[in-house]
Amino acid sequence: MTGHRILLNGLPVELSEQPLKSGGEAAVYTVVGNDGIVVKLYRDTPGPEQERRLARMLTMTPLGGRPTDRAQPSELAWPTAPARSPGGDFLGYAMNRFGEPQHIRLVGLFTRAQRLRLFPERVDWRFLLGVSWNLAFMTARMHHEGLVVGDFSSNNVVVDANGFVTFLDCDSIAFTDPATQEYFPCLMQTADYCAPERQKGGPATPASDDFALAVLVYQLLTVGNHPFGGVPHDSDSQSTVKDNIAASCSYVVQPERIIVPRGVIDPAVLPPTLLNLARAAFGPGVSNPQARPSAEDWLRALDHERGRVQSCPVRPRHTYSSHLHACPWCERAGRTGQDDFNVVLPPPPPPAIPKESHALRNSMIIVAALIVLLILLGALAN
Amino acid sequence: MRDNTHPMTVRVNQQASTLPYQYADIEIENNAQRLPLVLCLDTSHSMLGAPIASLNEALRDWTRELHDDVSLSYSVEVAVLTFGDAGVSAWQGPNLLPYNSPVSPFVPAHLFQPPQLKAAGVTLMAEALELSVQIVAARKAELRQLGLQFYRPQICLVTDGLPTDATGHPTDAWRRVVPVLTEEQRARRFRLYAIGVGGITDRGEEVLRAFAPTFNARLHGFPFRELLQMMSASANAEQRGAGDEVFEKIFSQFKTQRPAWES
Repeated sequence: MTGHRILLNGLPVELSEQPLKSGGEAAVYTVVGNDGIVVKLYRDTPGPEQERRLARMLTMTPLGGRPTDRAQPSELAWPTAPARSPGGDFLGYAMNRFGEPQHIRLVGLFTRAQRLRLFPERVDWRFLLGVSWNLAFMTARMHHEGLVVGDFSSNNVVVDANGFVTFLDCDSIAFTDPATQEYFPCLMQTADYCAPERQKGGPATPASDDFALAVLVYQLLTVGNHPFGGVPHDSDSQSTVKDNIAASCSYVVQPERIIVPRGVIDPAVLPPTLLNLARAAFGPGVSNPQARPSAEDWLRALDHERGRVQSCPVRPRHTYSSHLHACPWCERAGRTGQDDFNVVLPPPPPPAIPKESHALRNSMIIVAALIVLLILLGALAN
Repeated sequence: MRDNTHPMTVRVNQQASTLPYQYADIEIENNAQRLPLVLCLDTSHSMLGAPIASLNEALRDWTRELHDDVSLSYSVEVAVLTFGDAGVSAWQGPNLLPYNSPVSPFVPAHLFQPPQLKAAGVTLMAEALELSVQIVAARKAELRQLGLQFYRPQICLVTDGLPTDATGHPTDAWRRVVPVLTEEQRARRFRLYAIGVGGITDRGEEVLRAFAPTFNARLHGFPFRELLQMMSASANAEQRGAGDEVFEKIFSQFKTQRPAWES
């Protein structure tokens, strides 16, 4: 048995017999003899507006001004060609493939077991901060170009070993065609990242993207904790993330309202600037889109924090924000018996006296300053 | 059909007393919203031979796919119940739990390993469904107490026959479960899928329709692999927060085994 034959840009290709991934709306197939692309075919015959949307997308070069080379992968799985039946019917589209193991969906960073399996030796808090920065950067850029991600979730973004992110499922992006002024809305959403106004049926907007971005950045910086996790004390028995979002009930803002799972990380692991943004997004920003920090706000704050990460002197891959006086990952490992970033729990640290660690940090800062000075002097000498 | 080689007593599996540590508790560092999934499988005498072999193989393949799916293995928890032999058995991964064990049969997807199932004995389908409802309710209470959220659980009943009593004779006792299942489904406490395979009769299909008015099917042969893939696709839709129509679409595609490009 062989797979289905279709036309891509008029040229016949054969698809894999079994889909790579299959859902209610569409199935994604690999192409026989071409590992670089995949083809998404819609389950239901796509309507004329879907075909028009794709045709318009093929004329656009989003984020086009950015040079990409091997170290800088492309950032959107943008459609590259329409897929048609031999009879010419529109079926779906082709796009570049961003598959495992090089590209992992963001959700793969959210549990210890998967982090350690999928990103061996790679992930620490500094890496997660970098992924957050890339995510905020991409979102800000897309908003700048008038694109709304719309279905923004931990499943629709992949990350590579260097922390670069790529947005998948671009056919659901909301945009206005610059040529015809036709508006193409986003019709997809994912409950756990869906702002309340979209739950109620409102359109996808930059502000609804900002909500999803805030949730994802918070999850990244707390190794996977959803800010709307936990069960409210006054809830009925079927409480979900979606319910907590609708009720504006986040333990980051109002911990007293919620039974918080015991494994949840103290929100104070975030540096104060980022924690303030999170509190705005998960407090007043839930019901008021204007009160939400924008992707640019996040980008600016993340940029500031990237230069202020410190390394734990005791255990490998323990890095954390410089506002903390002790390593939160050592503290957690001691409490749970599991190290969030290491397969085997390295030996426990000797009892640390805060003053000493201060002294150590200060001496490290001095060493770092000296190195920077030497580099500067070297550069001047040249 | 009655299989007299199996005494009607409680079986205690040796392995059950030494459960791996990681099953003994909920993973402390994973706060994901959970998606409990119950596979309620017919392992009665009529499944002997090729059908049970094909079920075991499909379970192994599906387990591999489940482990590879970063999104499902993040939040799905699997429990296996079987009805055959001399009664209903609950499995915690590959390990048979003692009868009436207080230990939860749910295993995080990324740690799940399938049991090696054997076919023999009677078809206590109604009792198996009752136990399914019970373990789902118990799991929800347990998760809630820990502050963990859950998506709507999925129960998947698979059978090739008619419900029997403990002596292997067809019985109408299954009718007592119908009002319970109807109410639970109406209250959206879980999604129940009832799938007939092999040579299931019209009467068998009627039972499945009564159990699961929305998601019932009668399939040719033993397409266990497609069936388990459909459960994964539905779990994915649940994680997205999809509407009822999406689940119905996934199910109807599964029922007709229609490729994506045909509509």
